[in-house]
Amino acid sequence: MSMENEESVKKLFTAESAKVDTNKGDAYYEELYASCQERIEDLKKLAPLNNRVDFTESIEDQGLGRRDFLQWASATTAMLMLPASFTPLVAEAAVLMNRVPVIWVELQDCAGNSEALLRSDGPKIDEIILDIISLEFHETLQAASGHQAEKQMDEAMEHFKGKYLLFVEGAVPLGMNGQFGTIGAKGETFVEHLHRAAEGAAAVVAVGSCATFGGIPAAAPNPTDAVGVMDVVKGKPLINIPACPANPSNMVGVILHYVLTGTIPELDSLLRPKFAFGYRIHDNCERRAHFDAGEYVEEWGDEGAKNNFCLYKVGCKGPMTFNNCSIIRYNEGVNWPIGVGRGCIGCSEPDFWDKYAYERPMANANIKAPTGGVEKTVDEFGLGLLTVASIGIGIHAAASAIAGKREDGGEY
Amino acid sequence: MKAKPGYRQVKRRTGALRIIHWTNVIGMIAAIITGLYIADPYYQAFIADSAVDKYVMAWNRWIHFMFAIIFDVTSIVVVYLTFFSRVERPWTKVIPNKKNFIEFFEVLLNLLTLNTRKKFNSEHNDSFNIAYFFLFHILMIWMLLTGLQMYVHGLGSGLSSIGNWWPWMLHLVTDWTLPVSSWMAGSTATGSNIMDVRIAHHTTMWLLITWVVFHIYYQFWRTIFWKEGDISIIVGGSKYVKIEDGENK
Repeated sequence: MSMENEESVKKLFTAESAKVDTNKGDAYYEELYASCQERIEDLKKLAPLNNRVDFTESIEDQGLGRRDFLQWASATTAMLMLPASFTPLVAEAAVLMNRVPVIWVELQDCAGNSEALLRSDGPKIDEIILDIISLEFHETLQAASGHQAEKQMDEAMEHFKGKYLLFVEGAVPLGMNGQFGTIGAKGETFVEHLHRAAEGAAAVVAVGSCATFGGIPAAAPNPTDAVGVMDVVKGKPLINIPACPANPSNMVGVILHYVLTGTIPELDSLLRPKFAFGYRIHDNCERRAHFDAGEYVEEWGDEGAKNNFCLYKVGCKGPMTFNNCSIIRYNEGVNWPIGVGRGCIGCSEPDFWDKYAYERPMANANIKAPTGGVEKTVDEFGLGLLTVASIGIGIHAAASAIAGKREDGGEY
Repeated sequence: MKAKPGYRQVKRRTGALRIIHWTNVIGMIAAIITGLYIADPYYQAFIADSAVDKYVMAWNRWIHFMFAIIFDVTSIVVVYLTFFSRVERPWTKVIPNKKNFIEFFEVLLNLLTLNTRKKFNSEHNDSFNIAYFFLFHILMIWMLLTGLQMYVHGLGSGLSSIGNWWPWMLHLVTDWTLPVSSWMAGSTATGSNIMDVRIAHHTTMWLLITWVVFHIYYQFWRTIFWKEGDISIIVGGSKYVKIEDGENK
């Protein structure tokens, strides 16, 4: 079977869940290296899109040396599942990140993803890089408001038409004609806003679980009919970076990949980059040995908890969650949920609020409120019962009218 | 074993099928015991032992997967025998034709009337029992595919001890269970997750346990109260039928 056939057969019959190809062979990487090198030379000729500080200077301003930067570059190369020979290219691409315009829109969410890249103890290299990308428009961060803000966005979209990356944070409410969320002085609904912003984008990056799968706004009973960006935006290259919040390292990884290769990274069936979501938390967990040994935290604060035992019995969902936080952790490798002694709540999975985040093993979980909400069920059941009764009364009344009164002497 | 005077022997199950049946019985018991532990570890390892001496979850998973793989192989053999066995070919009894429909409902009526109405030949496998086993095999195949879907993510690198074709094939054959499970478990989100596969796998276990309860009840009841002697089919391989008057020996 030729490779093309094999690919098409795979597409035809499978939903293609995560399968990671970590070694594509020397020929593939040599070709990729050459094309990346060419692209970086091209990018170097372009002027930076903004006049913000130079990358190397801003790193030094934060007290980080060149050695730190090169360490970061080799770690990021490994994260992107590229051979070590790509490290110099990744370092060069990082410096050239200000050649890529980014527009960031914010929909139904808590701004947690913006927070994640702003509120680190001191900016780390990932965050600095997100600082120097050419962020042309960011609703939460910009000074402008009202008509001014809208004008700024229109200009950015016009100027970089077909070139900018659109980052979307937050779910899209479709209920009540989209009126659950409006934005700007004209009261544009989130759906319209997203469609308008996505139209001229080179690619759309959905950041965080709300933008990718609907997240908490889409949890049962989903009153606003919230959906992820991939349900709304069609016909554009789309990348999902779920998690609550999405890890800044993965955002940088996606942008870097785009700068380096001019393409979006390899994605799984849920459009997540495989370099980040190809493995489960569980596969690389530091407490995995305790899982296999049957050593579990039985209750909070017990002897097992003090000894860093596995958190499976207090509801860790690592075995069903695809993400790379067990490898790269958060805040430049400082720590992550399992490391601080609490279980994974599967925040990067679709439906995580209903099916993962109940902090008990799945077998003990009451997954949903009964039948999707008490009042909702009572109302719908009552209305249904009333309808059936009304139809019954109607049929009885009609039949009685046709049959007429019973003959005299009859009894009711 | 030779038939007693007044009875004749009807050969029903070959040795291979009987071995498969009892392998599956042991396998199901083991899979349920270990599966419940994997879902929610219900007993504790001795906390004072050092970690190198206990491997409790790993052994549970080893047993669970081992029997799953045995089930996979016996399933393939059973599917083959369903169509090509030299003794009985059960698939002819689940074809939805008139004869099978009548037999199915006659057996059902026989059961509901507690054997006061009996208008079918119980010497050979009847449509009701075969349909009931057909349901078992559907549940079993669903169980195997959802199980392998969860299993293949342990081979996330695309490598395995027997070659790259194995995880590749598992993805090819089982990835469709993701969206199907999500649809079955109900979801308000965009996209499907592996937890739904797990919920489906767990729920199907209870359906299979329910299936086993009726199966055991039915076979014992028929053997003891209706004197059909059906249990000997799966132990000795034959059924002993009373010779009616006027029947040729």
